[in-house]
Amino acid sequence: MKDAAISDAGGLSFEQEAREGWLSWVASVDHKQIGILYLWSSTIFFVVAGVLALLMRIQLARPENHFLSPTMYNQIFTMHGTTMIFLVVVPALIGFANYLVPLMIGARDVAFPRLNALGFWAQAFGGVMLYFSFATAGLNLGGAPAVGWFAYAPLSEAAYSYGPGVDYWIIGLLGIGVGTLTAGINLIATIVCLRTEGMTFGRLPLFVWMTLVTGFLIVLVIPVLNAGLVMLLFDRMLNANFFRPSTGGSAVLWQHVFWTFGHPEVYIMVLPAFGMISEVVPVFSGKPIYGYEFVAASGVAIAFLSLAVWAHHMFAVGLGHPADLFFAISSMAIAVPTGVKIFNWTATLYHGRLRFTTSMLFALGFLAMFTIGGLSGVAFAAVPIDWQLTDSYFVVAHFHYVLFGGTAFGVFAGVYYWFPKITGRMLSERTGRLHFWLTFIGFNLTFMIQHVLGMYGMPRRVFTYPPLPGWETMNMISTIGAFVLAFAVLVFLVNVMVSLRSGEVAGDNPWNAWTLEWASTSPPPPENFPNGVPPVRGRRPLWDLAHPDRTDETLMRLAE
Amino acid sequence: MKHPMPDKTKVGVGLFILSEAGFFAVLVISYIYFYVLPSHGPGAASSLNAVRTLFFSICLFLSSATIHMAGRSFRLGRSNAVSTWLALTVLLGGVFITGQAVEYRGLLVRGVTFSTNLFGTTFFTLTGFHGLHVLVGLCALGTLLGATISGRLPNINSSGFEAVSMYWHFVDAVWAVIFSVVYLWPLIG
Amino acid sequence: MPSPYDTNAFTLSPASPQAAAISQLFVGTLIFLAAILVLVGILIIFAVVRYRDRPGAPEPIQSFGWRKLEIIWTAVPILCLVVLTVCVAWTMHVGDPPALEKSPDLRIVGHQWWWEIDYLKSGAVAANEIHIPIGRRLLLELRSADVIHDFWVPQLARKMDIVPGHPNRMWLEANTPGVYLGACAEFCGNEHAWMRFQVIAQPTEQFDAWLRDQLTIPSKLNSSDAQRGGQLFVDRTCANCHTVTGTPANQRIGPDLTHLASRRMLAAGAAENTPENLAIWLHDPNTFKPDSNMPNLQLSTDDVHDLVAYLETLK
Repeated sequence: MKDAAISDAGGLSFEQEAREGWLSWVASVDHKQIGILYLWSSTIFFVVAGVLALLMRIQLARPENHFLSPTMYNQIFTMHGTTMIFLVVVPALIGFANYLVPLMIGARDVAFPRLNALGFWAQAFGGVMLYFSFATAGLNLGGAPAVGWFAYAPLSEAAYSYGPGVDYWIIGLLGIGVGTLTAGINLIATIVCLRTEGMTFGRLPLFVWMTLVTGFLIVLVIPVLNAGLVMLLFDRMLNANFFRPSTGGSAVLWQHVFWTFGHPEVYIMVLPAFGMISEVVPVFSGKPIYGYEFVAASGVAIAFLSLAVWAHHMFAVGLGHPADLFFAISSMAIAVPTGVKIFNWTATLYHGRLRFTTSMLFALGFLAMFTIGGLSGVAFAAVPIDWQLTDSYFVVAHFHYVLFGGTAFGVFAGVYYWFPKITGRMLSERTGRLHFWLTFIGFNLTFMIQHVLGMYGMPRRVFTYPPLPGWETMNMISTIGAFVLAFAVLVFLVNVMVSLRSGEVAGDNPWNAWTLEWASTSPPPPENFPNGVPPVRGRRPLWDLAHPDRTDETLMRLAE
Repeated sequence: MKHPMPDKTKVGVGLFILSEAGFFAVLVISYIYFYVLPSHGPGAASSLNAVRTLFFSICLFLSSATIHMAGRSFRLGRSNAVSTWLALTVLLGGVFITGQAVEYRGLLVRGVTFSTNLFGTTFFTLTGFHGLHVLVGLCALGTLLGATISGRLPNINSSGFEAVSMYWHFVDAVWAVIFSVVYLWPLIG
Repeated sequence: MPSPYDTNAFTLSPASPQAAAISQLFVGTLIFLAAILVLVGILIIFAVVRYRDRPGAPEPIQSFGWRKLEIIWTAVPILCLVVLTVCVAWTMHVGDPPALEKSPDLRIVGHQWWWEIDYLKSGAVAANEIHIPIGRRLLLELRSADVIHDFWVPQLARKMDIVPGHPNRMWLEANTPGVYLGACAEFCGNEHAWMRFQVIAQPTEQFDAWLRDQLTIPSKLNSSDAQRGGQLFVDRTCANCHTVTGTPANQRIGPDLTHLASRRMLAAGAAENTPENLAIWLHDPNTFKPDSNMPNLQLSTDDVHDLVAYLETLK
C-alpha cells in the first residue's frame, strides 16, 4: 500500500524526496501519508478498544460473574472510553481531513506540513504513554487508570487513585492533545489560506466546511482540557488543592472544566462525519445536497451552541433549578440544527437515482441510527428525564447510537467511498455488504436493549449486577450483539487487507463524483494535481466540466 | 479578480494565540472562583506587593512597545535598529522575569507555596504558566536577535518576525489581565 | 422472606408523586420522539424504494433546495421543543420540590462503598436499608465521606449526586408500601457496583415499630457462642471500625452493626443476609465484594461461628 500511495517522483524537486521503505513514512511531511498514518493508528486502537469492550461484555453476560475482577473491569472501561474517543474517533476524522482537505480545495499540501507530522507523532507518543500504564503494576497488567474517561475528582485525586494510572492518563492525553490541536490549527489555516482560485467559502465541499468548524472547536476547547489536566496533575504531584474538597478545593469545578471541553468534543467527533455523509449521499443520489447553505450554517450554529450546553452533563449535581433550566433550553436549542440536517440529507434522496453501494448503505444506516441517538439525546435535555436516566445504561445506549451509529457509520461510509482514491483499488462491494449488514444487526442488538436496561435501573460502570428479573437476558442479548459486531469488524479488516492487494483497479473517479479530489489520479501523486487544478466556478467542479451546458450556476439561475 | 489569501503564518499564530487564550481563561476563572470564596490562610491582599510588581509589569508592557519598534525597523530593512530594539525587548522581558523570581522567592520563604491553600495553588499556577510563556517568548526573541546580529535576518516579506511579535503582545495582554485580577483587585474590593 | 431479587426498579413504575411526575413526562416525551422516528423512517424507506436505481429510472432532478420548506422544517421542531420545555419546567418543580427552610429528616452519608443513614430526629443510625413511613415526605440531606456518589431509587425519586463539599437536599416519599431498590449511580471506585441500597416503605404503625426496635439496645446474649462472639468482636478488631450501641464499639469507619440481623441484605446488596452468607462474608469478604474495604481477618472457622452467633443477636 505504501508503494501505491507514493507515486514515482523521479525528477521532481520539492522538499520531500520520495524514498521507498518504512523510513519515508516516519520522516514524511506529506499530508496524504500523514493522513494514512492517522488512519492506521486509529484502526489499531479501534481493534484494541474493541477487544476491551468484548471483555466487558463477557463479564456482564451473567450476573455476579467472576471473569474480570472489579479493578480489572474498571481499568478496562476507562481505557475503552478514553481510547475510542482520543485514539480512534478523533484521529480517524483528522486522518481523513488531512488526506482530503488539501485535495478538495485544490492545494498542494496543508499550511504547515512539518507541524502536521509533529502532531501525528505526538499523538502516537501520547497513546503509547496511556497504554504504558497497564504495565506499571507488573505482569498482572493492573496499573491503568480506573476512574472513567472523565476522571471525576476527588476519585481521580491521589488519595483515592494512588497508583500512577491517572498520571499516565493525564500525560497521555496531553500528548494526544498536541496532535489534535496542531491538526485543528493546520486545517483552519489550510482552508482559509490555500484555496485554489475560484474556491470561495460558498463553494467549499461540505466536508471542508465541517472540518473548518471542527477546527475552531478544537482550537477553543482542547486548551480547556489541557488546563484541567494540568490542574489535576498539580493536585496529584504537587499537593495543589484545585479539586480536593477536604482542603477547600472544588470537585464541581473539575466537572465544569471537563465538560466545557467534553461537550464540544462530542461535536468535534460528529461534525466531520456529517461532512462525509454530505459528500456521499448526493453522489449516490446523483444530485446535489439539498440546502447546502442550511447544512453549512447549521454546522456553524452547532459549534457556537456547543460551548453553551456543558452542564447538561451535570443535571444530577444539584446546581439548582435555574441553572438546570438554562442548560436544558440551550441543549434543546442545539437539537434543532443537528436534527434539521437529517431532513436535508433525506430530501437529497428524493427525485434522485439511488445507487446502493456499501458507502451509501452505511450513509443510510447513519441517517437512521443517528436519528435514534439524537432523539434519545433530546430526552436527556428534558431535565427530569435526565434525573432518572443519566449514569444508567440508557445514556450508554444514547452515546453509542450517536458515536457508533452516527460517527462510525459515517466513517465507514467515508472509507468505502474514499478507499479507491487513497489506494487506487476498490474495496469488495460483496464483502462490504456483508460487513454492513453484520454491523447493522450487531450494533442494534448490542445497544437497543441497553435503553431498556437503563429504564430498569441498571447503573453504568458496574462490573456486575444482582440477578434481578430480566437483567441477565437483556445483558446476554447485548453481549451476543457485541460478538456479532466484532465479527463484522473482522470482515471489514479482511476486506481492507485483501482489497489492498488485489482489489479492482479504481481509476480516477469510480463513483462519478464531482469534487476536486476526483480530478486527480488514484492515488494522487505527491504534488496532488500534476496537470493543474480544474477551474472552479461552482460547488461541483467536475459536474460543471462534464455538463458545460448545465453547470450548477446555470441550473441555479434557472431555478430562481 | 483574484483576492490575495490571508498570510498563513499570521493565521496559524493567531489560532495558536486563540488556543492559549482558552488555556489562560480557565486558569483565570479558577483563580477568580476560589478568590471570591471565603478562605483561610495567606491571601492576595496580605501576601502580594502590587507596587513592586507594577514596576516589573511596566517593564513588560514597555517591551511590547520596543518589539513594535523593532518590527517597524525590520520592515524598513534597518538591521542595526532591529538589533537594538530586540535587545531592549529581551532586556525588559528579562527584568520582568527576574522580578517574578524575586517575588516567588519571597513568597516561598514566607511559607506561601503551591499546597498551602487555594490562594497558593491558583496564584502559582496562573503566574507560573504566564512566566513559562514569557520564557518561551524570550527564547524566540533571543533567536531573532541572534539571527539579526549574525546577518541572517529573514526576508522582509517573511512573517516569522510578525509571528513572534504577535505572540509577545499576547503574553503582555495576558499579564495585563492577570495583574488586574490578582494584584489590583484586592486593592479595590 | 420474599427473595430480594424478584422486584425491579423500573422507572416507569413510580411509587411516589415525584417519580410519577417524572414518569409522566418520560412517557409523553417517548411518544413524541417515537413519532418523529417513525416519520423519519417512513421518509427514508419511501425514498429508498421509490428512487432506487433500476432500468428505466428517470434522471435525477438537479435541485438545490427550497428555502421555504427548510424554514418550515426548522420552525416546527422549535415550536415542539418550546412546548417540551414548558413541560420540563413544570415537571422539575413537581419532581424535585424546593427544600425551603425545612431542616432535614434523614442524613444520608455516602461512603466507599456503603450507605450511612442517620435519622436526625430520633437518633437512630442504619446502614444500606432505609425505612420510611408511607405517605410522608421526608427531607434528605446528602453528604459524602469521600468521593462523589449518587443516590438513585428510580421508583421514588430523581437521582441526586452526593458531592463532597457540596451537600445536596432532596425529598423522599412513597405512596404504597413496598421494597424499592436503589443503587449508587456515580462511579466511585472498586466496588461501585455493590453500593446498592433498599428503601422499605411501611405503614406508619409498622414504621414506628421498626424505629422503636432500632432505638433499642440489643438484649443480652443468650448463648455461650454468642458471648464468645461478642468478646471476639472486640479482640479481633471489629470494634476498630464498627459501632454496636451498648458495647464499647463506637467507630464509624464501617457500617453501624447494632441491628445487623434485622436487615435483608449484606454488604450493601452484595448478598442476602443469612447466617450462611454472613459466615462466608466473615471468612473472606472477597467472595461477595472483592477489594472492598472490609479486610480478610484470617478468622478460624470456630471464630466465624461464634461471631455469627453474636451478630445474629443484633436484631
